[in-house]
Amino acid sequence: MIAEPVGIELVGHFATVSQQREAAKLGLWAWLVTELLLFAGLFLCALIIRIQHPAAVTLAATHLKFWIGAANTAVLICSSFTMSGAIALSRIGWRAGMLRFMLATAGLGTLFLGLKGFEYYQDYVEHMVPFLAGPYVLARDQATRLFVDVYFITTALHGVHLITGVSILLVLTWQASRPHFLARHQNRIEVYGLYWHFIDLIWIIVFPVLYVLNR
Amino acid sequence: MTRTDWAMLRRVLRVPCITLVALVALLAINVALGATLPFRNVWIVEAGVAACMVAIVLLVSMDLLDETPLIRLFSSIGFFWLLIMFGMILTDYLYR
Repeated sequence: MIAEPVGIELVGHFATVSQQREAAKLGLWAWLVTELLLFAGLFLCALIIRIQHPAAVTLAATHLKFWIGAANTAVLICSSFTMSGAIALSRIGWRAGMLRFMLATAGLGTLFLGLKGFEYYQDYVEHMVPFLAGPYVLARDQATRLFVDVYFITTALHGVHLITGVSILLVLTWQASRPHFLARHQNRIEVYGLYWHFIDLIWIIVFPVLYVLNR
Repeated sequence: MTRTDWAMLRRVLRVPCITLVALVALLAINVALGATLPFRNVWIVEAGVAACMVAIVLLVSMDLLDETPLIRLFSSIGFFWLLIMFGMILTDYLYR
C-alpha cells in the first residue's frame, strides 16, 4: 500500500484546520436537519392517513412490492458500508482503495435506482398508479389513493436525492483520483459521507413506514 | 498487498463491518416480522427495530459519537423539532 499524505488546505477565512473541518460538518448538518424535516412531513402524512383510514392503508400496502423494498434496503445498507470504507481509507491515505470503495458505493446506489425503476414499472403494470390516466386497481376504495400518492411522492423524492448523490459521488471520485487530493481536501470525503449515510437513514425509515408497518 | 496492509485494512474496517452486520441482522428481523406477522401489534416491535437501525446509522456511521458537542447539539435539535411536530399533530388526531 502506498499511503499518501492526508490533510486539509486551510482557507483564508478560517483560523485553523480543525475550525474549518468543524464548520464544514456543521454546515452540512444544518442542511440535513432541514432535509429531515422535509421527509418527516411525508412520514407524518403516512401516519395520519394510517390513523384515519387503517383498512384502506393495509389494503394498499399489501400491493406494494415488499421484497423489492427489502432488497433495496439491503443494497443501501451495503452502500453505507462501502462509503464508511472509503472514509476510513481516506483517513489513512490509501487512495486506490478509497476510490474502489467510492465506485462501489456509486454502483450500489445505481443498483438501488434500477430496482426502484423496476418496482415502479411493476406498479404501472398492475395499475397501482392512481395519478395516471387509466384504470386504478383499488379504485373502489378512494382512501387508498392517499396512501399510494404518499408512497410515490416519498420514494420519488428519495430517488431524486439518490440520483443527486450518485452524480456528486462520481464527480468527487474523479476529483479524488487526481494527485494530492487527499493532502488538500480529505474532509470532502467525510462531509460527502454524511450525505450518503443520511440517504441511507431516510430509506431505513421509509421502508418500515410504507412497506412493513402497514401490512 | 502485504500482511501489514491486510492487518491495517482489518483494523480500519472493523467498525464498518460490525455496523454492516448489525444493520443487516436488524433488517432481517424486520423483514421476517413483516413477512410472517407472527402476532398482533407486531408493528411495535418493527418500529423499535427500525429505531435501533436509525440510532446505529446516526451514532456510528455518521460519527455522532465522536463529533464535537456543538454538532451533536445541532443534530439533536433536528430530532427535537420532529418530536414537537409529531407530538402536537398526533395529539390532535389520536384524541379526536
